[in-house]
Parts: sequence; structure tokens; C-alpha cells
Amino acid sequence: MTTGTSIVGLGMTELGRVYGRSPRRLAADAVRLAAADAGLELGDLDGLLVSHGMGGSPGIELADTLGLRDLRLLSLINSYGATAGAMVSYAAMSVLNGSATTVACVFADAPLKPKQSAGSAYNRDAREWYGFGGMTAALGLRSVNSFYALTAQRHMARYGTTSEQLGAIAVSTRAWAAGNPLAQMREPITVEDHQDSRWVSEPLHLLDCCLVSNGAVAVIVTSDDRARDLARPPVHLLGWGQGHPGHRKERGSDFGLTTGAAASGATAMKMAGVTVSDVDVCELYDCYTYTVLVTLEDYGFCGKGEGGAFAASGALGPGGALPTNTGGGQLSGYYMWGMTPLSEAVIQARGDGGERQAPSNDVILVSGNGGILDHHATLIVSPHAKGA
Amino acid sequence: MDIGVLRRDGRTDPFFDGTAADRLVIRRCEACDRWFAPDASGCPGCGEEDLAWAEASGAATLVTWTILPKEPPAFLALVELAEGPWLHARLDGASRADLREGLPLRAAFEHPDEGESYVLFRP
Repeated sequence: MTTGTSIVGLGMTELGRVYGRSPRRLAADAVRLAAADAGLELGDLDGLLVSHGMGGSPGIELADTLGLRDLRLLSLINSYGATAGAMVSYAAMSVLNGSATTVACVFADAPLKPKQSAGSAYNRDAREWYGFGGMTAALGLRSVNSFYALTAQRHMARYGTTSEQLGAIAVSTRAWAAGNPLAQMREPITVEDHQDSRWVSEPLHLLDCCLVSNGAVAVIVTSDDRARDLARPPVHLLGWGQGHPGHRKERGSDFGLTTGAAASGATAMKMAGVTVSDVDVCELYDCYTYTVLVTLEDYGFCGKGEGGAFAASGALGPGGALPTNTGGGQLSGYYMWGMTPLSEAVIQARGDGGERQAPSNDVILVSGNGGILDHHATLIVSPHAKGA
Repeated sequence: MDIGVLRRDGRTDPFFDGTAADRLVIRRCEACDRWFAPDASGCPGCGEEDLAWAEASGAATLVTWTILPKEPPAFLALVELAEGPWLHARLDGASRADLREGLPLRAAFEHPDEGESYVLFRP
């Protein structure tokens, strides 16, 4: 009976303004790269979990594209930005209970089109609007930027969080990106640059918002027993959890102020047998600077309402006490939804971070966030097996 | 920022009949004595899917807001109706100095030349 599972392969296509490949083709390329990285043949895979962003799903037909046969696990998975963590946990549970042995988990997206701005890929525009959803957009709430702006503003009004504190997250994340050859934005920035960047939807500046990227990322999950014989050192999956608070939009709601990280993190850390004080590195879903701030609070790295001061203390950047988003995250690295933090966690756990390698990597916390702070997933990964 | 032209779909007739008559009509579960936003699909208390339509007072308070950098700036918000539900909304006649949690607001109805009437919220 297998007692532990690991990520043994990581495949990343070219990321960013990569045109001419469909989500299915990108996903297939990432799975091939992940298998090669692990030292596996495609035929060794008996499970495939598929996820997607805005540019259409690769579909479970991806198995056909890859020529996979006799799979014992094949499914689309969708918890929005929490999908990557959820997908890996389902793969691990399938391996643990014996229903599959070697499962590829892939995300692909191609929202960017040539000669189109990154923002327009996530923006709605029309002359006529239909129904209640259309009415909200017609009144001006047309971009996810504005919905996250509502959450950040609520935290600011409630706790005195400032735009400069959000800027500290943009700055520390960019400082990490400078050491990542795969990052799309590597030029260092200052809090002043953040303050000078244009308003997207107050209180969010342009530099509070993530990138938009085309590409695909895949990982392969198998048992620790099998992992020992493969090409790369295993990245052990010590714990996982999810949290979906179901905030209602009505009197008394904490919408915008709290996330599923509290429940998700507690579940994952308990399973891993660690606490926040054991965490060496955080790879957090950073669709916006504010997402990082509120997620750190809900995991318990600081108190509720203290996330701004914590970020501004310098803890998150290179040389800080809690290296966070060491590859530049989604803000400065690449936007592969939950695969952005997961891929960097694998790189850090393997010690492959080069000049951005964190000084200690024994316990790495990975988060995913979906909807408007509606869905959360956590993974705890390590170069060491549980209890080792 | 222009407010686009609003059109009905199959679910919005009572709401837009209301805005045309300067009335804010939202959903209500009579059995549970609970009010819901006009786009609610059902009552999570009892499972009722055929919620009634009922007129709200039009009184509201500000929950949170965002300002779009347009000329003039567009003030967008989540507002809490006196009956309890929150609505995504646009503010009218608000200034930056006004904005705070709990700011009292009042529904105001606009009747454009083209498309359905809609509701804004004024301090």
C-alpha cells in the first residue's frame, strides 16, 4: 500500500504572447514535456486531469491527441483559480487508493490574440446588455479588476490598509521575478512606480494586477515508491485542502475581507503535520496584490487586518523572513492560473531556483484562489517525505 | 463611461416593469420572510425556486466601492438594501469625500430614450 505521493514531472510550454497553438495543442505539449522531465513514457500515464482558463478547454479529447490508451482516470476539473491544487489532490488520492498509478494534471489557456491588449482578454464590452448580468456590466462593472477592487477597498476601509502597502507586494514580487528567466516582467520597480502606474479600477493600480499569458503547464503525480526510480528528485505532497466560504451578498457578509484560505490552510497543514511557523516559502495565487495580502492573513502568517503592515515590512521579498512568490508570481512572472504558484513550488522544492532559490525549502505552501475570493485550495509540498 | 442600452431577457420583466414606474422590485421568500436580490435563483432556506417579487423601500447603505478612471469618473459599488440583500450598483451624485462604509443611499430611477429604465443610488 502506497503511503505517500509526489510530483515527479513538470512541463511548461513557452509562456506569454505565444500564438498559433490551441489550448489542446498547448496542453499536449506540456504533458509531453512533463513526462520527459520525469523520465516517463506517455504510455506510463494511466490518469489525465484537464483544466482550462478563458481560451476554451482542451477537452478530455486531449487523451486522443496524446494517443493515451487504457486510462483509468480521465476528467475535466474546474474550481476556477483553485483548480490546480484541487486537481493535484484528486490525483494524489487516486494514487493512494490504487485507482490509478501515474496521473498527469494539465492547465492550458490561450486568451491572448495578436494585436490585442492583455486587459481586453478579461473585459466585457457591448452596446446592448441583456438580463441581470448584463445590467451589472452596463452600469460599469465590466471587468474582474473592478470586482477585486471592491474587495480591496473594503479591506482598506475596514482596516486602514493602504495602496502603498499593496505596492510593497508588487515590488517584492518583481524583485523575485528579476531572478526568473521565464518571468515576463523582470525590470525592478519601486513603490513610487506602483503609485505612478495608472488606475485600473481604484484602489487598484495597473501594477496591482496580474499579467495575462498564453501557454500550458503540466505536472505528473505518482507514488513515492515509483518516484524513487524516476529522473528527478520527488516533490512530496504532504497535505492538501480546500475552502469555499460561500459568502452571500447580503447583510452581515464578510465578502472581500476573508477567503477560503483559513479552512483550506488549516486542513492542509494539519494533514502535513506543520504549522505556519514551519513554512519556509509561500507560493500564493496573486491575481492581484490584494489577493496575497488577504491570503497571508487567512493562513495566519499575520493577524486579520495586519496584512498591509506585514507586506510593507519586507518579509515577502528576497532576503525576507517569508519568501513569497519567488518566481515573480502572476503579477510579474506568468499567468497560468493555479499552475503559476504550483510550478514555482516544484522548482523551489527541487532546488532549481538558480539565483532566486530560497535559502530554505523544507516546507512550501502553495495556494490557489478562484472567483472573487470564492474558492481556495492549498498544497503543502516538500523535498522530504512526510516524517522524514 | 456610458451606461449601455439595457434589454429584457426572460427573467427580468417584473424588475424592469418596476424601474419604469420608479419602483425597486426585488425577490422575496414569503415562507421564510427573507428578501433577495432580483437575480436570486431561489431561497437557500427552504429551496423555493419560484420567489415572489416585492417592492423594496429604496433605502440602502454603502458597503464598498471602486472608481473607474473615466471622464467623469464612474463610481461603482456594492450597496446593502434596507431589506438586507446587496446589489452591484452605480452611484450618482457622489464625491470622493462622501465615500465611507455605511453611507446612506437612496434609489433613483433613470429613464433613457432607448432601452429599459434602471436604478442608480444617490447619497
